Amino acid sequence: MTTVGTTPTQTRQGLGSRLAALTRIVELGPGRVDPKLLTESGQLLLRAGDRLKLSSDHTVVALAGGTGSGKSSLFNSISGLDLSPTGVRRPTTARTHACVWGLEGAGPLLDWLQIQWRHRFARASALDKGESRLHGLILLDLPDHDSIRALTDTEADRLIQVADLVVWVLDPQKYADASTHRRYVTELAGHDAVTVFVLNQADRLAPEELAECVADLDDLLRREGVENPVIVTTSAVTGKGVDNLKAVLADTVSRRRAAIQRLEADLDRLTRRLGKVMPDDDAPPPPAAIDDARRIGLTDALCDAVGVPAVGEAMENVYGVRSVEWVGWPYARWGKRLRRDPLSSLRLGDLKDEIRGLTGGSVSAQPAEVDNAIQALADGLTTGMHEAWQNGVRDAARSRSAQLPQVLSEELTEVAPSLDRVPAWWRLLLVWQYLLVLLFVAGLVWVGTALAYGVFEIGTLPESLEMFGDAASLPWVGLMMLSVLGLGVLTAVASRNVVVLGAANERDRLEREMRRRIGSVAEGMVIEPVERELARYNEFYGAMRSVRG
Amino acid sequence: MKSAANRPAHPGEGDPRLDDAAPQASGGAPEEHPESLGEQTVAFRAIRDDDVVSVEDDEPVRDEQDESVQDDEASPDGPGEDGDAAAPGGGDEGADAGDAESSGEDDAAPEPSIRPAADDDGRDDGEVESPAEDDAAPELSIRPAGSGEEDSGADESAEGGDGSEDEDASEDGDATPGLSIRPAGSGEDSGADESAEDDDPAEEDEDAFWPTAAVSDGARVREAPVPEEVSEALTRALTALRESVTGLSFGLDLPGVEEARRAQAEILTQLDDYVIPRIHMSTAPALIVVAGSTGAGKSTLLNTLANARVSATGVRRPTTATPVLACHPDDHEWFAKGDLLGGLERLEAPSHKTGTDGLVLVSTERLPQSVALLDTPDIDSVVETHHEIAHRMLDAADLWIFVTTAARYADAPAWRLLRLAKERGARLAIVLSRVPPKSREVVTKHFVRMLTEYGLGDVERFVINESKVTDGMLPDHEVTELRLWLAELSVDDQRRAQAVRSTLTGVLDSFRTRVPALARHLEAQVAFRTELRRDVDAAYAAAMVEIDEATGDGSLLRGEVLARWQDFTGSGDLMRTLHLRRPGRFAGKAGHQGPERLSALKTALRTALESVIVSAAQRAAEEAVARWLNRPGAGETLAATPGLGRPSEDFVRRAGRTVAAWQEHIVQLIRTEGVTKRTVARLVSFDVESLALIFAIGLLGYGTAEIEVAGKGALPQRLLHALLGAESLRNISAKARNDLRARIGMLFDDETSRYIQALDSAGIPDEAAATRLYQATYNLEVAR
Repeated sequence: MTTVGTTPTQTRQGLGSRLAALTRIVELGPGRVDPKLLTESGQLLLRAGDRLKLSSDHTVVALAGGTGSGKSSLFNSISGLDLSPTGVRRPTTARTHACVWGLEGAGPLLDWLQIQWRHRFARASALDKGESRLHGLILLDLPDHDSIRALTDTEADRLIQVADLVVWVLDPQKYADASTHRRYVTELAGHDAVTVFVLNQADRLAPEELAECVADLDDLLRREGVENPVIVTTSAVTGKGVDNLKAVLADTVSRRRAAIQRLEADLDRLTRRLGKVMPDDDAPPPPAAIDDARRIGLTDALCDAVGVPAVGEAMENVYGVRSVEWVGWPYARWGKRLRRDPLSSLRLGDLKDEIRGLTGGSVSAQPAEVDNAIQALADGLTTGMHEAWQNGVRDAARSRSAQLPQVLSEELTEVAPSLDRVPAWWRLLLVWQYLLVLLFVAGLVWVGTALAYGVFEIGTLPESLEMFGDAASLPWVGLMMLSVLGLGVLTAVASRNVVVLGAANERDRLEREMRRRIGSVAEGMVIEPVERELARYNEFYGAMRSVRG
Repeated sequence: MKSAANRPAHPGEGDPRLDDAAPQASGGAPEEHPESLGEQTVAFRAIRDDDVVSVEDDEPVRDEQDESVQDDEASPDGPGEDGDAAAPGGGDEGADAGDAESSGEDDAAPEPSIRPAADDDGRDDGEVESPAEDDAAPELSIRPAGSGEEDSGADESAEGGDGSEDEDASEDGDATPGLSIRPAGSGEDSGADESAEDDDPAEEDEDAFWPTAAVSDGARVREAPVPEEVSEALTRALTALRESVTGLSFGLDLPGVEEARRAQAEILTQLDDYVIPRIHMSTAPALIVVAGSTGAGKSTLLNTLANARVSATGVRRPTTATPVLACHPDDHEWFAKGDLLGGLERLEAPSHKTGTDGLVLVSTERLPQSVALLDTPDIDSVVETHHEIAHRMLDAADLWIFVTTAARYADAPAWRLLRLAKERGARLAIVLSRVPPKSREVVTKHFVRMLTEYGLGDVERFVINESKVTDGMLPDHEVTELRLWLAELSVDDQRRAQAVRSTLTGVLDSFRTRVPALARHLEAQVAFRTELRRDVDAAYAAAMVEIDEATGDGSLLRGEVLARWQDFTGSGDLMRTLHLRRPGRFAGKAGHQGPERLSALKTALRTALESVIVSAAQRAAEEAVARWLNRPGAGETLAATPGLGRPSEDFVRRAGRTVAAWQEHIVQLIRTEGVTKRTVARLVSFDVESLALIFAIGLLGYGTAEIEVAGKGALPQRLLHALLGAESLRNISAKARNDLRARIGMLFDDETSRYIQALDSAGIPDEAAATRLYQATYNLEVAR
């Protein structure tokens, strides 16, 4: 038994924090860790809680072993009374017997151990002959674990799991039985401090044989991972070696640490198994939050899924094209109309209206691309993580992916540009252009009048209109007409430029706005659940580290 | 008689002889039975006196014939010659040498019936032997065949020429099992006989004269016939069974696969080690396997019975690692050349290196003939390989001696073994050892009660008191009962044969359930594999449906594709797709198509389609793995194959290529099949690339979903309709859709093949194997 230089209270606190960490693991584990392991963890927590609540002044020592190894004889021999029936029939003991040195406070513990009343015995201190050193010992005589009866009775199994110190009673015939070693010793390797091996029936062997036997047993135990096996040879029949065993027990009992050591050993073993399932050496230090680069990456990907750049571009182009109808030079427009149109010749003229009627207006997200964007985020975050956590993060990221396209569409429809929007200044310009056309027409009329009356003198104009027939006004009127045309062209070019510029600005604004909205939707529907999962991940591994102590 | 002896050794050549033997058996007078053995005994005694002479005469002849036998074996018509040699020999015997022949018939007579041949011998023994001859009894049972051979010497001396033919046949019989040993053996044999004469104790001392066994051994083989047709058919059935069991592979880690693999190995070794050899010679020395817990005193018991330290004993547990076989020197060779447990290397002394494949063979005079004891490793120590060896030995045992102790008789492993023995119908004897004398009464009573409760109350039991072990042996008086039992078994051929037979029957019976159990597991594997495949297929079929929906209802045309489409149409590029045919202007116009919007739309469409495929594939991969994980057993290990939970690495690239190829294909379709309506063609020409794109948009469901369209139909459809005509459009649509499906299908096939590879790497269960197993079991039943 190894002594560690800590006081029981310190160990108790250390154990307490480790158990708290294990509680966190049990809380966080479901869905990530093998359920069997979690169940065992839960059981250990329960057991630890129970045991730590109960008398810490008592040490539960279980005598375990195969049938016929002499557990009951040893029990009687230690207690000095014939408490447990011994016999030659196999199996002999069917119920656990308990003997308590120092009864006060042991009752609840015995209840917890489920020892029947009639099988409880007490060594009242008055009866003790200088055996105060065993004060606080609860000695259990277990039924065997390897007979045909044990196949249906798990009492031995149960008590071996909960005893503070397990004394394996072996004998020269059975010390290498698989039923003992495979099921218990190998499983409980690492419990060195709370396991004692007794080679009973030593009287059956010659001294040199006994030495060989002990050496062989020691070798066997070391091979099975018991680092420092404590082997005591006894003979319950002759009483030889029983005092040594008592000394070992007394040592354990007086230090009052076996219960905690046992729980620590159980915890260590569980931790090792947990560590095997969830190795955290190669787990990358997980990002506590999602960094900006990933956020931007996700927003970009979602923008692509919505087609933000395309929407902007389309808006810009369509505006450009449509503005021509309003702010373009009317003469050019009329000229174009004169050209024959393929659609009309296919008698599909109404398609043109349809195209013109394209209002845009709805912006929608492509669900598959949204999926892939989320997937990419999850993949990027989870490289190197354990598969269970990879799935966890992925599921978290996807938790609302079904609604995401819909929500995105709704969110963006508000800001979606309507392609058929006609700004007021377009109308003004149109009026202006028509005004210019009107002026040009008026000029034409003037020129015609002046030519007719002033040059060809086909008649006389009424007095009030005389000035129109004056040929001298012709150059001025011609000049005016030219400037009207020029003004129209200039206006068209300028307003076209303004439209393009405005559309570009509008596009920038639109894209920024859409990005902002997409970003906030992504934050709420993707980033947040993922960060929760990551926090869970971090907490889990934090608990793993602290449960390791 | 000699021809009969040859048969079991030549299973392949047996048929011609079978014909010879049958009339011989039926023609020979069955009334001779009671007489024959007695006469034989007389003949045997008489010949012993002549032995020296006959042997010296024989020596050169034998060598010659040895060669001739080897020639026979090598030449293809050997069997025919053998048959010829045997037939006249039998005839001659029938006519001349009554003694030898009658004993031969004696053996041959019961052949047609299944009744063990040894029955006769046993009965004869019983009738002939007087109590005074008790010591000689084992001799008698061994000798007959030996006497047969020497008998031929007698024939020879009496008749000359005929004898040599007999010789030929008998030589043949002996030479086949142990050709190389034989010449030397026959020489010494006579020497041993000479010096030993009738004196049994003298022979016991002569440990060195093992070759004696060669003769008497051959003799015992000869007296051991299982009825021939039965043996033939059985051998065939067993070989078939063996073959069908050998080829099985249980690749998938279904629950119970370990048991199945173990059962397969067990059946195979049992067939090789025990059943097939045993079928040939059912009354050869019985192999008694001593099994039990570690520390029960198996080795000590063997040492005591053998009266020598043949097996190591000690306080270390487990003690025995290599099985030790102890037998009478006469039986030594039988076990040395051994078909029985043939897979095990015979060793002189235990060694640690051989591991599981060794068998220490020792012989001792203290053991009675015809029974051999095999000390096995334990069944319950920490060294698990020991359990396997022990069970292998038990599988080859004719009788089991189960050793347990007063401290152990309630151990669970012990009772597991007893249950196994009961299941197998093996003949069993139980030794309760290390019983403290003072509690003998109580323990024995309790143990017997437990046995009775367990249905083993009538099993033979021996109780050995705990006593001082010296030099690895118990005091001899402790094992007297057991020794007597063994001696009885040795002497009483009938009982021994019965025991052997019943164990063999038990084993053959056990095949009735064990082999079909294997077959059932195999079927489960096949079914399971099919289910796993179905899982994958279902997952990918669902993905395909998903894609179909996405490409059919216009949900694909969202996001960027929609925006680009609006751009494309709204900016007038759609209109520019069409040109009026105007001579001279067409060529110039075509180049002015705005390429950037067109290609942007094309790219957007490709990306969208690609992402639909990738996302569907991702879900399908997850679905497949999830389905596998839900299957207990195999699914988990398979799903752990890295990368199955997601599409393969270059899937995105391949999906992109697939979509691009499909787009190209549409362009080709439009170009080749999109015959423009003639009325239209006169007026309008169009840009193929753009039109293909418009077509794709229309195909993918533009206007069917949320995208509101005023008017009668969706824009692309109407345009295309007007340009290409209804029929042509339908045609191309169908083709394009099928092409897309086919391409995605190919892509998914590549994906599914990864799962199938993972399945196959675990081994492909043979679907016909289960049927073969059932067939083999049925054939075996028929053959019995």
